[in-house]
Amino acid sequence: MTAHALSALGAGFSNEALGSQAVFRSVLQALSQPGQPVCVDHDAQVPTEGHSASAAALLALLDSDCTLWLSPRLAASNAGLWLRFHTGCQLVDAPEQARFVWVAAGDAMPPLHTLATGSDAYPDQSATCVLDVDSMDADAVAHGALNLRGPGIRTLQPLCVRGLPAGFERQWADNHAAFPRGVDVLLATANHLAGLPRTTGIPVAVEA
Amino acid sequence: MFQAFDNPGAGRPLQRAHWMALLARAPLDLLEPALRGHLARPARWLRAPETGLMMVQGRAGGTGERFNLGEVTVTRCALRVQAEGAEPTVGVGYVLGRSQRHVHLAALADALLQDPAHQSALDAALLAPLRRHLADQQAQRRARAASTKVDFFTVARESGGDDEEASQ
Repeated sequence: MTAHALSALGAGFSNEALGSQAVFRSVLQALSQPGQPVCVDHDAQVPTEGHSASAAALLALLDSDCTLWLSPRLAASNAGLWLRFHTGCQLVDAPEQARFVWVAAGDAMPPLHTLATGSDAYPDQSATCVLDVDSMDADAVAHGALNLRGPGIRTLQPLCVRGLPAGFERQWADNHAAFPRGVDVLLATANHLAGLPRTTGIPVAVEA
Repeated sequence: MFQAFDNPGAGRPLQRAHWMALLARAPLDLLEPALRGHLARPARWLRAPETGLMMVQGRAGGTGERFNLGEVTVTRCALRVQAEGAEPTVGVGYVLGRSQRHVHLAALADALLQDPAHQSALDAALLAPLRRHLADQQAQRRARAASTKVDFFTVARESGGDDEEASQ
């Protein structure tokens, strides 16, 4: 790493322990109540490319044992350098080798079934996909909203997402059906995270 | 312990690796007074001081196969320092041992030395005394080692002795 690259790099959490614990708590909240956006409050100087919430979540979750794949737009920015400097994670070229995948808004998401889905004996050895989307809304029952169902949801959790990759619902149905194997997804807007663990089903919207 | 580049010679430009090696071996009582005026500069940790282990590798005779010599305790940090009217610079410190104060001052000095506005002043105020200190230390060590020097000489055997070797 050159001196110039280092001087352009942002700082991490001002207090590493408390900052990452607070963000970890938000991620936990997001995954335990799927589809409910959680505000991610942090003070890290995140890279310009990619959403702030996803950068903070990865900063809190990654360590030197983790492999990370970045979508082309992120790979071209200094986001990888930033995460590597602060967490020591390893960047990989192939999404199927990665335990964490970060896809910027507008970049193509690698098909979910190609990512690491773990095995029946070790379903924990699967990938977590952080997906940057344009916006999320859990309150408005808008046309085209996803209706989430599963553990952590009382009946149905509507979630209106703008910016999901095409064909996501079909891929998600396959991912959900492969339980206990599968990929967990974190949807991220600029400041919010919503969890989509593999236990959550998205039934095809019934005509009302 | 003592590096070939401790005395860069006249006219050679200051290299970052050189001053980082000097700062890593600087005693605190040389660093503290030289940097006292700069401690109030706005600065932010990119990486707060952290202590860990590092594997030191060696080569027998400097050219042989690589082998693991052992682990050493290392403290490191990275500090972004805001200089007046210039781009912020990032100083990095790697120091043997566990002194967080030492690594903080080393990183601060590294950041300031990268700024041309401070380089010559700090070179005179900090690096020159540091080179002198290390040279003194080296001379003392050399003198101490020299005092234990023994000149071996071979005692010529007197001719005509009838010991075993002679009889064979």
